[in-house]
Amino acid sequence: MKELKQLRRDPVSLILTVMFPIILIGIFIVIVAAFSATTHNVPVVVADLDGTPASDAMLNELTRSRFIHVTQLVQTEDQAYQAVNNAQAVGAIIIPQGFGKALLAGDAFVIVSTDNSKLTSSQFVVGAVNQGAQDLVNQVTSGEGGINFGLKIAPIEVITRTMTGRPPSGDPILPGFLGLIAILGGFDDIVNAINRERERGTFPRLTLSPVSLFAVYSGKMSATIVLTILRTALMLVIFSLYGLVIHGNLILIFLTTVLIAIFTFSLGLTISTRIRSTATLTVLEIAMTFPLFSLAGTVNSPLLLAPGGQAIADSLPWTYGNDALRRLIYLGAGPNAIVGDLLILFVSSLILMPIAILLSKRTI
Amino acid sequence: MSVATFLSDSLAIAENEFRQFRRNRSAILISLVVLPLFFTVSFGAGQGGAGTSFSPTANIPIGFVDNDNTIASLRLWQTLTRSPDFHNLIQSYNEQAAIAELGTKRIYAVIVVPKGFQDALENGNQARLVLYTDDSEPGVSDQIQSTLTGYAQNFDPNVEVQPALSQLQKQSVAGVGVVRKGAIFASFNVGLTTILAIVQIFSVFYEIAGGMARERDEGTYARLLASPIPIGSIMLGKTLFDILLSVLRTFIVLGMGIYGYGAKPSTDFGTILALSLIVAIVTMGIGFVAAALKLGQRAVVIITFFLILFLFAFSGLVIDNNLLVGISKTISSALPFTYAFDALRRTILLGRPLLSLTFDLEYMIEFIIVSFALAFVLLHSFRERLIA
Repeated sequence: MKELKQLRRDPVSLILTVMFPIILIGIFIVIVAAFSATTHNVPVVVADLDGTPASDAMLNELTRSRFIHVTQLVQTEDQAYQAVNNAQAVGAIIIPQGFGKALLAGDAFVIVSTDNSKLTSSQFVVGAVNQGAQDLVNQVTSGEGGINFGLKIAPIEVITRTMTGRPPSGDPILPGFLGLIAILGGFDDIVNAINRERERGTFPRLTLSPVSLFAVYSGKMSATIVLTILRTALMLVIFSLYGLVIHGNLILIFLTTVLIAIFTFSLGLTISTRIRSTATLTVLEIAMTFPLFSLAGTVNSPLLLAPGGQAIADSLPWTYGNDALRRLIYLGAGPNAIVGDLLILFVSSLILMPIAILLSKRTI
Repeated sequence: MSVATFLSDSLAIAENEFRQFRRNRSAILISLVVLPLFFTVSFGAGQGGAGTSFSPTANIPIGFVDNDNTIASLRLWQTLTRSPDFHNLIQSYNEQAAIAELGTKRIYAVIVVPKGFQDALENGNQARLVLYTDDSEPGVSDQIQSTLTGYAQNFDPNVEVQPALSQLQKQSVAGVGVVRKGAIFASFNVGLTTILAIVQIFSVFYEIAGGMARERDEGTYARLLASPIPIGSIMLGKTLFDILLSVLRTFIVLGMGIYGYGAKPSTDFGTILALSLIVAIVTMGIGFVAAALKLGQRAVVIITFFLILFLFAFSGLVIDNNLLVGISKTISSALPFTYAFDALRRTILLGRPLLSLTFDLEYMIEFIIVSFALAFVLLHSFRERLIA
């Protein structure tokens, strides 16, 4: 109760508790909006060195693309590359001489040179050229618009069906954000609960009272549990407003975020026995949080990491928490599917708590 | 006041900062060890070093159900299992049972070759493969789909042993190949540009704004203002101190990147150092402005966190500036860090000479002048409030 009362009296901490989820989701929306925009105008230049109906058709496909904007038609390959080198365009597309004849033989190609320091724009250029080529192939093989070059058809099409029915590139990171909020909240709580008391000198007084250190820590952890439940509820409301369908049992989702927060709190408690300054502890915890974006499955699955990264991910209990959240939210998994993940979080906390109490006793 | 006195005061401030820094073990650890180490190692471990390559799909367990049982489907199985991208393909005989395994972590996708696969290919019709995926693993469905499509597009059922596919062939459309030119960068080289800037921004903002907040809390800032040292000297002294720390940090990040993860910058060390210091000085300007707003130490740290998150969204780290629209684009265009990241990529990745990036440099230098001037005015105007 004391922890919650203190939080209520500290408007800055209270605002932060609410603002973390909102700002994170706001940033996510900006990123997703840019990625999922239906049109982009990535500037490209095109050199049509063939000048045949086939190359005209390819050029038409490129100019019709919703993602690239043909800013200039140049005469030579060098001029096209020069435009990319001078940062006038992100991509140079060369339709080589003989393109029409090669199309007949089924081995035509176009050359794309991109400024790969523009990480996402260059991908859009390549994607647009691939799409243009695919559309041209489809036109040619179906004889649309009077074009028929007897081209070989793409032999195999891959049809993807996801378990949840969402597109393969659906919004996969929202559950990861819920996990991240639980982690950040847990770290923030430990700073509020222990280090600030240490700085104000109230922590030694608390330990001198006739209450065991275990009871003190349990009480502080109870406050974290209440706050995590509130943060989770807020995030789930934001998810619902965003249109995310939550398939799993809500109680299991709350249980998972609470266990993530308890583990984070236990780790923070252990670290706080060595680092006494509030600011230093906060910096350290935030510095630890950023690597979790890539290593604990917040943004991408740990399955896609390099072997070294996978080993680190496997050793982080947060990875299992994020995994459980994704299975709950997207797949509607039951308790049996996530019990292993939850046990890892629980046992890790059980190991850290006595260590934290032992170290605290030595350093009070 | 003469220039010599001004400089002498600034050097005294810088010396004092160093003395305090040397005595503060946690500050040394955070500035020179924890921040560079955490960011570089986590990125290097996740993406692999610049000299190494790995296929993200290689070790993912994937079911393979052959409902066609023909020469063509057998050749497809052989093509995939012999490829470097599907080392963990598990043959299954029952489509429903294989699909039921999805979501259990035993397999993450199922490739189904439907009946009539070979017939479709022989008759010149488009054959199909069905890929079922566990999309609760972020990014996995996309990755498996695009890798499998590369093999499918280039599959020739008449060839017993399919030739190994280049990265280029995997990305091409059957009928019209797409030949990619332009340097392709190892993801660690790309990451190095981000890590270098993020480490500088994180550390410098904390050192300047957080350091002044700490001095205010400890009461030494009030004593400093009561001394005859002008605010300009205080700012210059702290700037000199932080420039030296930033030089050390640049060495540490580059050292770990080059010797630990095989990064190969396309430009010389002087260019990287100059840009790294410009990023640091831009951040110092913002740090001084924040310090003038009387923020507490913890508030500074939390603002640092949000600043970094903000940069991820708006300064070209995740999405290029030219893909943003509306207010996002305006914010992005106003941020000096957008130009800093652009300059770092153009030099470190493309090897462009620093002086050819005139617009990026001009914008950052103008920002430095404006932010330092604003900070000076604010620190001067609020001096009473700051020591109260």
